[in-house]
Amino acid sequence: MKIFGKRLFRPRSIWIRKIVQWFFFLLIALISINHTLIENGGGIPFLSTASLHALCPFGGVVTIYQYAAVGTFVQKIHESAFVLMIIGFALAFLFGPVFCGWACPLGTVQEWIAKLGRKFFKRRYNQFVPARLDKVLRYLRYLVLAWVIYVTATSGTLIFAVYDPYFALFNFWTSEVAIGGLIILSATLVLSVFIERPWCKYACPYGAVLGITNLFRVFQIKRAESTCKADGACSIMCPMNIPVDKVKTVRDHQCISCLECTSEAVCPVAQTVVFTTGAVK
Amino acid sequence: MTLTSKPLAALIFIILFGGIAFTTAMGWFATESTKEPTTFTEGEFAGLANPADIRGSYTFGDIEKSFGIPSAILAQAFSIQTNDPAFFAIKELEVIYAASEFEVGTASVKLFVALYNGLPLDLSTDMSLPENAAALLKEKNLTPEQLAYLDSHTIPNPAAASDSLEPAPVQVTESAPESASTEQLIKGKTTFQEVLDWGVTQETIEQVMGVPMPNPLTKIKDYCLEKRLDFEIIKTALQVEADKVK
Repeated sequence: MKIFGKRLFRPRSIWIRKIVQWFFFLLIALISINHTLIENGGGIPFLSTASLHALCPFGGVVTIYQYAAVGTFVQKIHESAFVLMIIGFALAFLFGPVFCGWACPLGTVQEWIAKLGRKFFKRRYNQFVPARLDKVLRYLRYLVLAWVIYVTATSGTLIFAVYDPYFALFNFWTSEVAIGGLIILSATLVLSVFIERPWCKYACPYGAVLGITNLFRVFQIKRAESTCKADGACSIMCPMNIPVDKVKTVRDHQCISCLECTSEAVCPVAQTVVFTTGAVK
Repeated sequence: MTLTSKPLAALIFIILFGGIAFTTAMGWFATESTKEPTTFTEGEFAGLANPADIRGSYTFGDIEKSFGIPSAILAQAFSIQTNDPAFFAIKELEVIYAASEFEVGTASVKLFVALYNGLPLDLSTDMSLPENAAALLKEKNLTPEQLAYLDSHTIPNPAAASDSLEPAPVQVTESAPESASTEQLIKGKTTFQEVLDWGVTQETIEQVMGVPMPNPLTKIKDYCLEKRLDFEIIKTALQVEADKVK
């Protein structure tokens, strides 16, 4: 914000989130590499050799039906995925989809490319899709979720792995990756130059599941109308295009709890947009 | 209560890694299938590992762990020359012995392990063993019936096995289910749903098994174990049906 050419407020970013995102990206990348190395007789000491399927909380979600029906897991899914699913739900119940905003490496990669898009398109970035179309497309991920659950339940196999860009991102060097996954990954990365987190917004089935918790999570993003200057900074900064300045409490199913809209980051007024359990005036 | 980014980051780490640490300590955080066969539940062998439950995904190292047979002996029996036989996956045998007139694979390893350790195994089906394995077994105390079976089910050692296996990695473990579905081969992980998808009808499956088909997502092998049916017999019969509808 500038007045008479003087900068009065410099928007900050949640720097610790960036560190956490880097941490999870490197962790998953190294584990994936280690999984390949161990199959060839090598390996990095003291690092997990688990497959990506074993460490994906969404694997737990898609195996729920089979586990309830016959007491077994879908092929390639193990107990660890079930545990991570429960932990993911616990985190989401408390804080909303923090897995998406803080831990998911595919989300992180999309954010990295978004920096490039912002440089190219400035304020036009992340505003290309017409609002009416965008609103409809946001529900597409629930169709993807329904389809994934249906085909997994009826086949007993991880059919989604063939299309999963997250799996392709960390397995593109192996023979396990399918062409479908690589195409969707490439499309996601290209679209990220124009739209922030396109996979998360329009297609991610796990984001769809976690997004529901925004309706009832314990900690919520709230805006104090009494101190709000209505400058719209929070809405402009939101990677998911949520109109934070128009609501008192963010209950949008697309919120990823990144905190970039809060007074700790972009909002210039202290204690105005906060992540809290209590009420704000 | 209001949270800022730093406590939130700390809480994410505590809940995530605390949860993993707790479930690991409780033995709930398994990132791969256990490679331990079921044990005999009754009779004089109660508590011992059952060779009938050996699966194609096992390595010689897994067999050594469960049955105490050194990987080197297993490699010698099946003519596998490699620097580290413990990493050799049993399912690779089918590839190595592909040129053989008789199938050598998981069933052969089951037979070898059972006879080597003096454990019971149903000999009503045909399971072949190479000459090296038969020679090792003849040093053991076999019954006349077992010796006769061995004599009639011994095949020549593979000519090129030793040359074709340099580093013997476990490279096929993850690709197995895919190959099972594309090649339409019934293996330990095959579900009834897969067989149905290949075109075998539920009636045919039930006719072969002699019992009603359970939930299609059930693994055939698990169901055979549950119903005390011989998986090898059911597998062979279902494979015939699957080949018919290819």
